Amino acid sequence: MGTTHVLHLILLFSVLSSVHVVTHGDNSTDSYWLLRIKSLLSDPVGVLENWSPKAKFCTWNGLTCSDDQTHVVGLNLSGSGLSGLISAEFSRLTSLQTLDLSMNSLSGSVPHELGQLQNLRELLLYSNLLSGNVPPELGLLKKLQVLRIGDNSLTGQVPRDIGDLTELRVLGLAYCQLNGTIPAEIGNLKQLKSLDLQKNSLGGLIPREISGCEELQNFAASNNMLEGEVPASMGNLKSLQILNLANNSLSGSIPMDLGRLFNLKYLNLLGNRLNGEVPVELNQLNQLEKLDLSRNNLSGSINLFATQLTNLQVLVLSDNFLTGNIPSNLCNGNSNLWQLFVARNKLSGKFPLDLLNCSSLQELDLSDNEFEGELPSKLDKLENLTDLLLNNNSFSGNLPPEIGNMSHLETLFMFHNMITGEMPVEIGKLQRLTVLYLYDNQMYGSIPVELTNCSSLTEIDFFGNQFSGSIPQTIGKLKNLVFLQLRQNDLSGPIPPSLGYCIKLQKLVLADNKLSGSIPLTFRFLSELFLITLYNNSFSGPLPETLSLLKNLRIINFSHNRFTGSISPLSCSSNLTVLDLTNNTFSGPIPSSLSLSKHLTRLRLAHNLLTETIPPEFGNLTELNFLDLSFNNLTGEVTPDLSNCKKLSHLLLNDNQISGTIPSWLGTLQELGELDLSSNSFHGKAPPEIGNCSRLLKLALHGNNLFGEIPSEIGSLTSLNVLTLHKNNFSGLIPSTIQQCEKLYELRLSENLLTGSIPSELGKLTELQVILDLSKNFLSGEIPFSLGNLMKLERLNLSFNRLHGSVPLSLGTLTSLLMLNLSNNHLQGQIPSTFSRFPLSSFLSNGRLCGPPLAPCLGPEKKPLSNTAAAGVIVAIVFASTLICLGLLYVMLRIWCNWKKVSVLSSDAGHEQRREEEKWVYGEAMGRDFEYWKVNSSQVKQQISTACIFQLKVDTETVDHSFQF
Amino acid sequence: MAFPTLLAFLLSLLLSFSPTLSTNNEGNALHALRSRLSDHTNVLQSWDPTLVNPCTWFHITCDSNNHVIRLDLGNSNISGSLGPELGELKKLQYLELYNNQIRGKIPKELGNLKNLISMDLYGNRFEGKIPKSFAKLKSITFLRLNNNKLTGSIPRELTTLSNLKVFDVSNNDLCGTIPVNGPFGSFPMESNIINVETRRGKVLTIRVLNCDIATHIFDMNVSIGNANIGVKRSMYFCTLPL
Repeated sequence: MGTTHVLHLILLFSVLSSVHVVTHGDNSTDSYWLLRIKSLLSDPVGVLENWSPKAKFCTWNGLTCSDDQTHVVGLNLSGSGLSGLISAEFSRLTSLQTLDLSMNSLSGSVPHELGQLQNLRELLLYSNLLSGNVPPELGLLKKLQVLRIGDNSLTGQVPRDIGDLTELRVLGLAYCQLNGTIPAEIGNLKQLKSLDLQKNSLGGLIPREISGCEELQNFAASNNMLEGEVPASMGNLKSLQILNLANNSLSGSIPMDLGRLFNLKYLNLLGNRLNGEVPVELNQLNQLEKLDLSRNNLSGSINLFATQLTNLQVLVLSDNFLTGNIPSNLCNGNSNLWQLFVARNKLSGKFPLDLLNCSSLQELDLSDNEFEGELPSKLDKLENLTDLLLNNNSFSGNLPPEIGNMSHLETLFMFHNMITGEMPVEIGKLQRLTVLYLYDNQMYGSIPVELTNCSSLTEIDFFGNQFSGSIPQTIGKLKNLVFLQLRQNDLSGPIPPSLGYCIKLQKLVLADNKLSGSIPLTFRFLSELFLITLYNNSFSGPLPETLSLLKNLRIINFSHNRFTGSISPLSCSSNLTVLDLTNNTFSGPIPSSLSLSKHLTRLRLAHNLLTETIPPEFGNLTELNFLDLSFNNLTGEVTPDLSNCKKLSHLLLNDNQISGTIPSWLGTLQELGELDLSSNSFHGKAPPEIGNCSRLLKLALHGNNLFGEIPSEIGSLTSLNVLTLHKNNFSGLIPSTIQQCEKLYELRLSENLLTGSIPSELGKLTELQVILDLSKNFLSGEIPFSLGNLMKLERLNLSFNRLHGSVPLSLGTLTSLLMLNLSNNHLQGQIPSTFSRFPLSSFLSNGRLCGPPLAPCLGPEKKPLSNTAAAGVIVAIVFASTLICLGLLYVMLRIWCNWKKVSVLSSDAGHEQRREEEKWVYGEAMGRDFEYWKVNSSQVKQQISTACIFQLKVDTETVDHSFQF
Repeated sequence: MAFPTLLAFLLSLLLSFSPTLSTNNEGNALHALRSRLSDHTNVLQSWDPTLVNPCTWFHITCDSNNHVIRLDLGNSNISGSLGPELGELKKLQYLELYNNQIRGKIPKELGNLKNLISMDLYGNRFEGKIPKSFAKLKSITFLRLNNNKLTGSIPRELTTLSNLKVFDVSNNDLCGTIPVNGPFGSFPMESNIINVETRRGKVLTIRVLNCDIATHIFDMNVSIGNANIGVKRSMYFCTLPL
């Protein structure tokens, strides 16, 4: 506000002073109007200081006067730091031929009165802050030759009246916000040499009439929204030297008529939707220096030859659908091509040997194509090459040693190929090499110590090869190294202490190797280090205390090693975002100083020997998203301060000795997706508030001492996939609200004290798949018929309850069931016929269950059998007894020949989930023969006898059928 | 223009490759999957490709070696299509993509999932054929492709899937004969292998689309004639082309 007041004052003052001038001035002179113009300008640099009535006005800065010193013919205030408005009174300077106010900070609109300057030849207002429209009145400036008003904030359309400026040579309207189309009247500008419309919002077609601009040398309309085809008529623009239509939405094919633009030096059509082939006629453009057709939909092969395009320096064809190879005669010894980019096409074949003739090449990018075969040993013929990008192809064979002769090489991208063999020691000769990316190949052998002679190296990435041996001891010579990734190789031995002298190192990735030893003490010098990952190695020993000096560390992953001692040296950087120390043998308490890293998002300390409690200071970690402290020796209660960590999505505290009740504030963690508190010493009731964690996918509370009822609020967890409450002391009924957890695929409520009947609502959980385990409770009543809806269920365990009544026939339709256990209940009656595929043990210790694989259901208390059926049964029994004899014989044979097979078979069944607790009752898993049974060698006898009975059942059933029909 | 272009290009390369160190195949495959899917309810929000592996992403389950064994995106309101990269999840056991709006063909690369036990693609808008490559799914036990827009016939090659226990292709536009060998011989007729509801021994009338049945027309007549007895293992479920 203050500044505007001051501005107003200044303005007022200058207006007053000009009024003073007016009283003494003559309103017919240019000086009068110039002073009025000045009054609208703010002039912080003082360029207009000598614009004063005291001096002769022809001496004023920026002015050119007519020969008779009476009129201004030129006014040049370009780059004078002026702000303010362009006065409409410029129109009074009727003799003005040149007006240049470019490169100031002028605002407001372009006054339409400028159209009255009939003598104006040049109007330069570019690079200001002008807004509003391009005034159509400018079309009245019949003598105008140069109109440059771009790099402003002009809006609206390009006025058709521009077409009236028949003397116009230069039209610059770039870098504004003009919309609408390019007016066809532009074709009237017969003298036009340069037309610059870049970076506007012009749409529509490029007018065919543009071919009327016969003198056009420079046409730039890039970064607009032009659409339609490139008009073939542009082939008539014989003088054209620069044609830039990049980043529009032009479609269709490139007109071959462009091949007639014999003066063209620069052709840029990148970033359009052009399709079809690159017209071979473009080879006629022998003045062409730069050609960019990248990011289109061009197809076919490359038909451009630097042998014809003798002046071609830059050829960019990347990001198209070009096929075939690089043309063999692209270059000869005289070519000037220094940049060739054909990345991200569908080019194929071997490395084009003739490309080695392009000795002028400095930058070659063949990446992301389908090239294959070995690299030519004479690659070093490209002696001027600085950047060689061959990544994402299928090149094979060795890296040729001659590469060491390419002394200008700075960037070498070989990643994601099939390069094999050892790294040539000659690579050490590349003194300018800064970036060496060889990742994702199959190179082996040791990393040559000569590599450490490449003193310019800043980035090394050898990820995903098979390099072995140790990291070169002299790696510390690479003083410029910023990034070192050796992940996923077969490197062994310790980290060379000299690595600590690479003091510019920011990212160090040594994960997934066989490295050992401890972290060198020299690492204290790596003060720039912000990422270090050492996971999946065999590092050991305590961490050096001096790691606490590395204050820039943000990402640390030391997981799956054998580090010992305290983790406190890693807790001193206050910039940590990720700390993963999973699966080591760290001991001692969790340092509370970790809470200094306010931006910590992931903290994983699982599978260590950490003791004591979760520090209350963790409540400061408000960005924490992933907290995994599982499998430690933590004790005490969960600190209530954790309730501040509102972004927690994973909270894993399982397998510790944490005690107390399950905190109700967990319900306030709205982002929580996984909550695992299992295998601790929690007691008390499960808090109903847990039902508020509506995003929860996995809730594991098993293996605690929880009691009371399962809260009915559990039904609010509608996203829940996995719910495990087993091995607690939950009592009461299974809440029927559980039916709302429609996405459950695993539900375990076993080994509790649950009573009542199984709610029939469980039948609505049709996504149940992994298991429904209600075993070892005190459930009574009948098995609900609705459980027959669980079509995807693979394991059902209702054993060790007090269930009675018959097994509902609907359960027989559970075609996905692999394992079933109904044993140790009070069930009775016939079991569904499809259950014959399960072993006897699925049904043991019940009341009076019958039907295969159990004893057949006889007796009149069941529904009476028809005569034919009875006869069937009798025949079946006779048949069966014969078969039992045969079966026994068969069994003995099988036992004899299967003993050896057993171990093989049990490993064959590898896809079965192998949980210790689930040794119970595997059904006939796969198919009708018994070769795929999961067999424990101790159970072989039982299994085989079941098999016998099963076979018997199959046969009786067959008999049954023959009677039915 | 050329030099800035190169510079921008190199810069973008550096940016795209150097910071994402975790180039792990399974994570990349899943990330590629994500890029093909429209995720209307943000269920894939946690899929951060910069993590070392995808094991802590929601809806992903890994084994102890950090290999993905479950992908659970059933009923997730996702649309889009699947790509070949899913075949990279070599240890995958459960592929649960049911009841979404996924379109396009079922990628043949899914046949590379040698450890797959369950593939639930039902309730989507898949079209095209059932890939023959599914014959390579040696562990597959549950294959549910029902309620899609699949065409063509049931590939004969699937008869080699000795573990197959549930095979549901109902409510598609399939045609041709139901294989009778291998696991198909043991499917009870109540199972949902056929396009419309079926009862034991009944031959079905089904829409014929892209049907390749010429050689079986006569057999089919025979089977219609003996619909009740004996031929339940040689069912044909195309009507004569009209």
